[in-house]
This record gives sequence, C-alpha cells and structure tokens, in this order.
Amino acid sequence: MSNESSCETNQLAFTYGALLLRIWLGVRSVQTGIEKFAGSAASDQAVKIDGAVNSYGLTSGGSVKHYALENYHGVPEALMAKFTAEPLMLKVALPLYDKVLGPSLLVLGVAILLGIASRTSLFLLGLLYTSLTWGLILIKQDEGVSWLGVHMILVVMALALSNHNRFTLLKKW
Amino acid sequence: MTPSLTPLNRRDFLSKTAAGIGAGLVLGAPRTAHAASDAADKIHVALVGAGKQGRVLFEAMSNIPGLHFQAICDIWDYNRQGGIAKVRAFQGHTPKGYSDIDEMLATEKGLDAVIISTPDFWHSPHTVKCLEAGLNVYCEKMMSDTIDGARAMVHAMEKSGKLCQIGHQRRSNPRYRYVLDQLINGSKICGQIVNVNGQWNRAVNSSQDIGFNPKLTIKQDILTKYGFRDMQQFMNWRTYRDLSGGPISDLGAHQIDIFNWFLGVPPKSVFASGGHDFFKNREHFDNVMAIFDYDTPQGGVRAFYQVLTTTSAGGGYYESFMGTQGNIRISEQTAYTSIYREDSAPSWDSLVSRGLLKKQPAPPKPEPAPGAIASYESAAAEAFELPGDLSKPPHQPHLENFFAAVRGQATLTCDARHAFESEAPIYWVNPSALSRQPIEFTAQHLTV
Repeated sequence: MSNESSCETNQLAFTYGALLLRIWLGVRSVQTGIEKFAGSAASDQAVKIDGAVNSYGLTSGGSVKHYALENYHGVPEALMAKFTAEPLMLKVALPLYDKVLGPSLLVLGVAILLGIASRTSLFLLGLLYTSLTWGLILIKQDEGVSWLGVHMILVVMALALSNHNRFTLLKKW
Repeated sequence: MTPSLTPLNRRDFLSKTAAGIGAGLVLGAPRTAHAASDAADKIHVALVGAGKQGRVLFEAMSNIPGLHFQAICDIWDYNRQGGIAKVRAFQGHTPKGYSDIDEMLATEKGLDAVIISTPDFWHSPHTVKCLEAGLNVYCEKMMSDTIDGARAMVHAMEKSGKLCQIGHQRRSNPRYRYVLDQLINGSKICGQIVNVNGQWNRAVNSSQDIGFNPKLTIKQDILTKYGFRDMQQFMNWRTYRDLSGGPISDLGAHQIDIFNWFLGVPPKSVFASGGHDFFKNREHFDNVMAIFDYDTPQGGVRAFYQVLTTTSAGGGYYESFMGTQGNIRISEQTAYTSIYREDSAPSWDSLVSRGLLKKQPAPPKPEPAPGAIASYESAAAEAFELPGDLSKPPHQPHLENFFAAVRGQATLTCDARHAFESEAPIYWVNPSALSRQPIEFTAQHLTV
C-alpha cells in the first residue's frame, strides 16, 4: 500500500517535472524567437528651451523598444561579420540560417508548449542548439557554448521524462 | 595676435540648414512617398567604397529623402555585391556596379555627388578625381594619409568650385553644436577653459586584425594595382604606415578636431609618445598620447589626448573641456557625456529653469574614511546633463548638411578647407612620437 502510494507520488512529481521542463524550454524558445523582431526607436520629440522648440534638432533622450517584421535579424549583425570571416562557414548557408533561425525558434517553442509531437520537437530544438553551439565554438564564445550546454541538458531531461508527458495536443512522435 | 580657425557663419548655417531639413521633413516621410516624387528633384549619388564604413554611411543616407543611388564602386566583389543588394532592397532597382573608379566616372552620366569611404590613402586621389569630374564629394576623414594629399583636396575643391565635405560628423551633430554655441560660448558655463582632455580607449579584443574567408580573396593583380601587398593588408590597411595614419588619425582625428573647433585656434605645438605595447608587429603605434599647447583669447590651454587600442579601461571615448567654473564632457555616446559645475561657480539654476541644462540627482556624500587626514580636496561638483539628444544615426546630420548644400540650401559644416585647418596638427603627432621630440608649429606645418 505504502509502495503504491509512493509510486503515485513519484508519478505526479515526474509529470510536474516534464511539464515544467516543457514550459521552460517552450517559453525560452518562443521569447528568443520574438526578440529577433525587436528593435528600438529613438524618441523624436523636440526639446524646448526658453519655452520654444530648440533650433538644433535636440530631441528628448531615450528610446522605445518595439517589435516589427522589418527589425528581424536571425543572427545578430555583430556576429554575422565574424561568421562571414570564418573559413569553415559556408557562404550560402549563413543567410539561409539567418532567415530560418527566428521562425524555427518560434515554431518549436510553440510546439513544445502545446505538446505537439513533443519528442520530435525537443529533438529538433536540441539540433538547433547544437548548430548554435558550433557557431559559437568557431568564434570562440566559450561562455555561450557553456550556456547552450545547460540548455542541452534540459532538453535531454525533458526527453527522458517523455513517459510522464501529459497535457499534449499530439502525443505521437 | 592669436591665429584663429576660419569660422563658419553659424546663423547662415542654421537658417539654411533648418530650411533644408524642414523641406526634408515635409517631403520625407515614408519611402514609398518620396519614391514617387519627381526624378528631376533627386540627387544622383555614387558610393565609392562599400565596406564597413560605406555601409554605415548608406544606412544613415537611407533615412534622407530625395536620394537616388546610381552606382557602387568597390574593388572587392564581396563588398560590391553586398552593397548592390542593400541598395536594390532599399530603392527597388539595381545600381550599376564598378570595380574601377575611372571606369565609373567615364561611364556614369548625370551623377551629382559621390560618397567616398575607401582606405585613407585613396581618399585624396579619389576625391580629386571626382571634383575634377565636376561632382560634389563627401569624403570620410582622415582627409588623407599625408598632409600633401589633404592639401591637394583643398586645392581641387577650390579650383573646381564643387562641394567637398569631410566626414567629421560631430561638426553637424546637434549635441556638439549646442554645447559650443549655447553652453561654452553663449552661457560660458565652463568659465575660462584651462585644460582639455580626450580619449578613445578600445579593448584589445576590438582591435584585433580582421580576418577573411580565403574563398573571397581578391586576385593578386587587382590587389597590387590598388596598392595592397596582399589580402591581409587589404583587410587591415589601418595598421600600415603607407596606407593610413594609424589609431591617432583613425580614432583620434574625430576628437582632436573637436579640440580645435571648440577652442577656435590651432595649437602652437605638439609633444607625443607612442609604443608597440601589445601589437608588437604592427607598423603603427598601438597606444599614443599627445599634448597640444594652445594660445586662446582667454589664455593658455593644454590639451591631452590618448588613443589606446589595448584596453577599454577608463571609460570609452569623449572630449572633456575643463574650465574654472565647470566641465563639459561630451561624446557621441550619451552615456559618456556629463557636465559638472565647480562648487565655487555661480548657480546654474536659471539655466536649468530655462531648459538649457538638466540637473542630475546629487550623489550620496561619501563617509570620511576612519583616520583620513584632512586635505584640500574640492567639494563634490554638481552634475548636469544636456537637455536633449540626437534621435538619428550619428552620421545622418552631417550627410543631411551635405545634401542640403548640394541643393543650395545650406553651408557645409566641414568643407575641405576647414577640415584641413583642424586636421593639420594631427599629421604631426606620429612624427613627434617617432622622434620623441616636441614640434613647434609654423605656418609651414599648418597651412594649405
């Protein structure tokens, strides 16, 4: 009796664990994808001096963050230049990767959150993180590599808890 | 008598530029709106040099209405094709591409202006060619890698009667113009300026050689034709003595220009020191420090400038004008800009209430250290900030001024003659550092 109760308790813990990992990885992926569309616009409100609009073109400082399709950058511009200079980087592959990275993060993130083919979605997210890791190894961003390594551990943990995965739209795959 | 730099007529500049910018604002809003405007009103532009700086200038120009990018010239396919793609995406049709400027000038008809952002040692030959071809020129600073190259640009501008703007973009920056007009000359908040201090400290990581993909290497005969020994030198021309002036002209020229512009007189002398402190194999010094002496109408001023390419310690890049009553530290970056009032100076409350300055909250008073000896340390200065900012890319106002001048609606803020007067002392920093001797300037050093 006591063993059965303990087993049930563990089942619940595993289910919560699987759900938390899905939520964490999904939110992480979706928001990272959304941030690819973020930009900032400087305020263009003219400053007044002696009660009149200044003649120099000074505007009230600060900038406003906003999201727009035209802001999209899959790979940050600063890193793009570094990747371009890398001999192992395929010249044609980089612009393609730049285009698909943001949408891929969004699609995979949503799929993981909603539980659509969770195992395959997690596997693809792992591959995406692996590709990012390879790029960061090329340009010697060791901190980023470690950071992605932590993400990979979470992906693998989520996969290992697949048997306890509940609240899904598509259980298959 | 104190020699002075040729002043610009500020009122004329302001009224004409305001008219030009005002017209631009009316014409300007969405890209589709000005794309439909009369083609005859457009300024037809060629871009010579489509590398990193060329892209910065193009991004700034893409916010200016009424421009048509007709041609792009660059010896590197990678840059040229990249530039063509950017322009095509912006204006909807493809500009003509050239690898040779002579071919471009011989072929292209109807050009009004050329934007030159090639390596420094090509600035003068390219600018002179374009001016002689009857085109208005915006050329990146430093004017040239040699003072004689810079002189040739002034002569060509004056002989051709065409416009030649040099890319000291701070000269058109509203923040800089405001500080000079309203705070230093107008309200005289600094009192007597007695020292100037400027720096550009750049981290060693940001100063490394630029790499390249071997698959994109330019053919050797083309590199040789255009004065480069190999692809490595092409990518890193800034570190070679025959191709550039090194960090003091690459980074320092912007800021020493501000010293000369704000003080309104050329320096009397320079004494510099430099070294190969980290980048042992580079031809140019990686760290340079220079002291300029000035005789201004207010009295003597010493100006210290340092450019470091080995550490970012010490906080970025700025120019600091230190006076008996206040200090203005100005930078293109708002974060590096600050203004302080000396404790003994008259109150600036009226300036704050008029909107000329914004007051920053007072910092907490530090507790005296136990056992500290009473000293003559000054009281903490009150901190202020500029009342406003620049809401555009930093190069845009300078390009707006250039194109407004092309339309006859403004006076250039930094034509080749004014730029030469300000840049001339910079050409003597490296010789002073190499010889470890001060250089007393004569007319021969500083005049066209």
